[in-house]
Amino acid sequence: MKLKVVSKILDANEKIAQENRKVFDQNRVFVVNLMSSPGAGKTTLLEQTIRSLRDRVRIAVIEGDITGTDDAQRIDALGVPVVQINTEGGCHLDASMVQEALNDLPIGDIELLFVENVGNLVCPAEFYIGEDIKAMVLSITEGHDKPLKYPMMFRQSRAAVINKIDLKDYLDVDIEKIKRDIYTLNPTISLFETSCKTGQGIAAWTEWIETHCLCRRP
Amino acid sequence: MHEVSIALSLLERVIEECQGKGYSRVNSIRVDIGRASGIMPDALSFSFNAIKTDTIAADAELIINEVPLRAQCMDCQSEFASEETYIFMCPACGSITFSVISGRELDITEIEVE
Repeated sequence: MKLKVVSKILDANEKIAQENRKVFDQNRVFVVNLMSSPGAGKTTLLEQTIRSLRDRVRIAVIEGDITGTDDAQRIDALGVPVVQINTEGGCHLDASMVQEALNDLPIGDIELLFVENVGNLVCPAEFYIGEDIKAMVLSITEGHDKPLKYPMMFRQSRAAVINKIDLKDYLDVDIEKIKRDIYTLNPTISLFETSCKTGQGIAAWTEWIETHCLCRRP
Repeated sequence: MHEVSIALSLLERVIEECQGKGYSRVNSIRVDIGRASGIMPDALSFSFNAIKTDTIAADAELIINEVPLRAQCMDCQSEFASEETYIFMCPACGSITFSVISGRELDITEIEVE
């Protein structure tokens, strides 16, 4: 016999993401799902962000990697709570991985949670984990064609950070095209140009993040 | 890789649905997969067939209905379709604000069981 079903394939993920969302709301945590391709500079940007905000905002980090604990060790060195998730080959984090990681975080004592997703420009955009916003990092060494090649990622992000901007004189990359294409895909996105090496643009990015966190305070 | 996780979620959802209603064998599963869902139908079939062994869906056929990408322009209200996996602008007026009507589906629509 035939069973008529109307069910989303990712129903299970969606349900757990909503549970995560509830936990975040109850504890007034602002959650950023940070995405990029491998090597765009997510972890270095996080280190800079933590350094400039940790005296004013209580921060924690969930690190998603296929394997290894290098990133978590870098965050741990800055003295903020961090949990490493190893996906053992999986190309993105899903809601249940994040839910499990939350058990190891002092959630009642956190105002800002960064979830650093697995480096990948495709899959992470598909899996809601309960976050407030998706933000993505694109380094200019990746080339100016990336926004139009990976539109979903840019379309779903509330903020995009164009990173390694200090290298622009050494590369044949059209940064204006990157910005134009990102705005075409997502006219309301907040764009930042940063260099973690020189510190350029970091303040604008961290102020933007801090403003969102402050909205959560009672 | 991505299709494997989708296939796993699909299989888990189907098994849960069938066991909840007391069925022990799945013959076929119909799914709607949108053109803009980021999923390649061939890769999904391949992944599903690889992971279904030793489950109640071991002999199940996965029937994929590809859903075209359609959108409505928020400015000129015209409806349009695209063969591509992504729409950048309204073909009638060039506006970049539009709402997607279909093409993002990852849905199970029917399961044939015994």
